Amino acid sequence: MATTLADIEDMIARIALGDRRAFSDLYDATSAKLFGTCLRVLKDKAVAEDVLQEAYMKVWRHADRYASNGISPMTWLITIARNSAIDRLRRIRAAGETGGAVDENLPASDLNPEQTAIAKSEAGRIAACLNELEPDRSNAVRGAYLDGLSYADLAAQFNVPLNTMRTWLRRSLQSLRECMAQ
Amino acid sequence: MSDTPEQGDLPPDDSTLAAEYVLRLLPHDQERAFAARLANDPALTAEVAQWTTRLEGMNAEFTPVAPRAAVKATLQSRLFGDAPRVAFWQRLGLWQGVSFASLAVAGFMLWQGMQGVDPQSGPLYVSELSGENQELRLLAVYDSSNAELRLTRTDGSAPANRVLELWAIDGDNAPVSLGVLPDAAGSVITLPPEFRASISGLVLAITDEPPGGAPGGIPSGSVMAAGPVTEI
Repeated sequence: MATTLADIEDMIARIALGDRRAFSDLYDATSAKLFGTCLRVLKDKAVAEDVLQEAYMKVWRHADRYASNGISPMTWLITIARNSAIDRLRRIRAAGETGGAVDENLPASDLNPEQTAIAKSEAGRIAACLNELEPDRSNAVRGAYLDGLSYADLAAQFNVPLNTMRTWLRRSLQSLRECMAQ
Repeated sequence: MSDTPEQGDLPPDDSTLAAEYVLRLLPHDQERAFAARLANDPALTAEVAQWTTRLEGMNAEFTPVAPRAAVKATLQSRLFGDAPRVAFWQRLGLWQGVSFASLAVAGFMLWQGMQGVDPQSGPLYVSELSGENQELRLLAVYDSSNAELRLTRTDGSAPANRVLELWAIDGDNAPVSLGVLPDAAGSVITLPPEFRASISGLVLAITDEPPGGAPGGIPSGSVMAAGPVTEI
């Protein structure tokens, strides 16, 4: 992959000017990562394909909002994909709530630590800080981020009351912030 | 469910709220309220950016998976109009830059194609079908009030011992035969119900096929002409 973050930033800048070629290039350079993001949250290929398109439509329309806001361009793109996927996940669940079979439609989240990708240096810092939390709590943070789980989902998953989960998460986040400031 | 002192939460500070916002943990109404605050609170926006960056290391766990090629084509179609039709033509070996007739010629053919169409009819759609070498050209006019598709062949004819078969292509779906065209220059076809809602953007294509039509309902000959349907 010869594409650098600077290249991606440049593509986004050109997309903001309506450059379709830049949009095509950006898609080629980043769609696998964004599709992986949608798939992780949605666990359904067809739905993930649709949401991936939605995410890139937002990129096309809102490229001008990515000025240099201090966020890496790749993080900006992944955030758009992840938020689009979580929006869809919640719409699907809201629509299915009356059916009562919602949980069966969602494969169980893998909340066990994943050894593979986490080795990447980019992830090293937060991985180290997550490791300092109790395993359940770091898994809850990861379930929220990677699988789009809500407090209610997490409470059910870890079999604790909702308020307890909220307290866990908030304390974990404060610990993470302190750890990462070091 | 009441909070016990042990479980009870202090009201979260803005930094924690920002983290919950980034993680998507806030209930819908609180999320919207937070987003509304963001619009004119630079400090809060900075908190969100900081949390986004703090958590971004977890992005490494999103394993890249290449989407199917058709996804990009559909995306470009949704954004820019007819890009996936181009992909379809490319797949069938037709030059993608199907040239449209000059406005004068198109206008003439439009007039010609509309003969017999009730002027009081519903929305009309038109498609000019042409091929790479311009040997075969047709004009199709679709009247949504009666689902009739009127075809007028303005140039060319079927190769010897072959027939012309008309196909409808909806997005990335496989072509569906609308039948073999008669030898006469004009013909009227009733569009099958499944295409009526998606008429705008539908692609019509003509292939040459053995007498009797494409074996098994799958196009076997070359694409002699194609064009997208647009509302007029």
